[in-house]
Amino acid sequence: MIARWILLALLPVVAAIALFQSRRLSAIIGMGLFSFMLAAVYLLMNAPDVAITEATIGAALVTAIYVLAIRRTGRLTVVADEVPGLLAREGDHIVGLEYEILEGFARHIGLDLSIQFVPLRRVRWLVAHQEADLGAGGMIRRTDSEGALASTPVHLETGVFAFSNGRQETESAPLGGIPDYQGYFSELLAHDRQGTLSAVVGSLDLARVLSLGRVGAGLQDLGRVEGDYGYAFLVPRQRAKLRKDYAAYLAQLRESGQLARLIKRHFS
Amino acid sequence: MTHERFRTLLAACIVVVFVALIGMMVALSNPDPVDSNRYLALNVEETGASNRVAGIYLNYRLLDTLLEVLVFSVAVLGVRHYLQHSEGIQLSSLSESEVVQTAVSFLTPLALLLCAFFAIFGHISPGGGFAAGVIAASGLLYVAIAHGMKAMEARLNPWRLARIEKAILLILLAFVLAPIALGKSPLSDLLPKGTPGELLSGGSILIYNVLIGMKVFLGAWLVIAAFAQHRGEL
Repeated sequence: MIARWILLALLPVVAAIALFQSRRLSAIIGMGLFSFMLAAVYLLMNAPDVAITEATIGAALVTAIYVLAIRRTGRLTVVADEVPGLLAREGDHIVGLEYEILEGFARHIGLDLSIQFVPLRRVRWLVAHQEADLGAGGMIRRTDSEGALASTPVHLETGVFAFSNGRQETESAPLGGIPDYQGYFSELLAHDRQGTLSAVVGSLDLARVLSLGRVGAGLQDLGRVEGDYGYAFLVPRQRAKLRKDYAAYLAQLRESGQLARLIKRHFS
Repeated sequence: MTHERFRTLLAACIVVVFVALIGMMVALSNPDPVDSNRYLALNVEETGASNRVAGIYLNYRLLDTLLEVLVFSVAVLGVRHYLQHSEGIQLSSLSESEVVQTAVSFLTPLALLLCAFFAIFGHISPGGGFAAGVIAASGLLYVAIAHGMKAMEARLNPWRLARIEKAILLILLAFVLAPIALGKSPLSDLLPKGTPGELLSGGSILIYNVLIGMKVFLGAWLVIAAFAQHRGEL
């Protein structure tokens, strides 16, 4: 008798807990727990048949269907080019400034962060075709207002450097000096050692230059390109809500001084 | 007459026939108003099922249960009919981690065992066909989450399952209408009551439970499979 009243009193509490979870999976588990407790109440009220039905439908079937439903919508899928310092693997972990920003943002909007490393051009393709939510890893903010790709506000200023041997001037022009190459950034290291770097890429941004410079390579002929450049994330143009949410989050991060602290920790 | 129109006409005919049959059942059966206490007092004795709830919904109120099964069948039919024209979405398959796969391969046999228990012992202990079917469908759904829908569809052909599902509905209706052939009123129980508490007791309730369990299991699974196939890969 007492157990029944305790369970009944706990039901609204569990329901409220499930409602106020920001992470979707936690909310679903809260709902499953609610169903189980309701089943226990039925059982204590001498209705085992109803209890069994409540447990099978509410706790098993509905939970499974919700888990299915959030498998895609419940995660923030980020595709990225691996750039040391910004977003890179280190052992089993992913580290870097952009990783910390993304991790915080995903938690802020209640999603699970999922990062996949893909070649640079594939990042742009996947985001443009809305196969991924965000593109990251040293993406320069785009200023064009057309096309399927849009950018978030800049989280870190940078510079762009171009090889001065002239060939790339025409080729990289459509992208406005934004670094562009086939494959992964790590594959550039081999070209760097062989001295054929300028044949495969026209321009490079500061984080990539620093990263290549660390391995000790010839980056002669590199000259700074005029203009203000900054790192941002790529986002499908149609995802206006995601862009707005991220802009608000970044503004809050900047105002609280946390962004400055993060940058200082990663680049000093 | 086009193929499409013929099918629509056939469906309409089936609905009319079912409505006529149900009307006939209501007209032929002779309900006498009773005190509801009778259900509690004479339930076990009259139905032979020691689970009184099963005794009520699969004996006294069999017509209601039958209509619920019809509603469920129409829902499954509707989902499959309207989704068959929508284009399948080709998304990359998602599979889960080793932990989830191991947990699922441990839990699914238990779920299927529980399903069999609830269906077969539904007239003696709590349970019943509906809960049994939902448990089995949930078990399969968890397997689909862990291993992906494609692996499941290779083993369970939805097209064949849909035929079995419809066959079960017909068997159920035939079983209910069979007493007419013997000159009794429809929905009456042909099987002996037996001793309450034994496995073979409660007349036809055991058979109804097993049939409804299979029906709900196949129906729920077909709906899930149809949504997975046409609205995105699991």
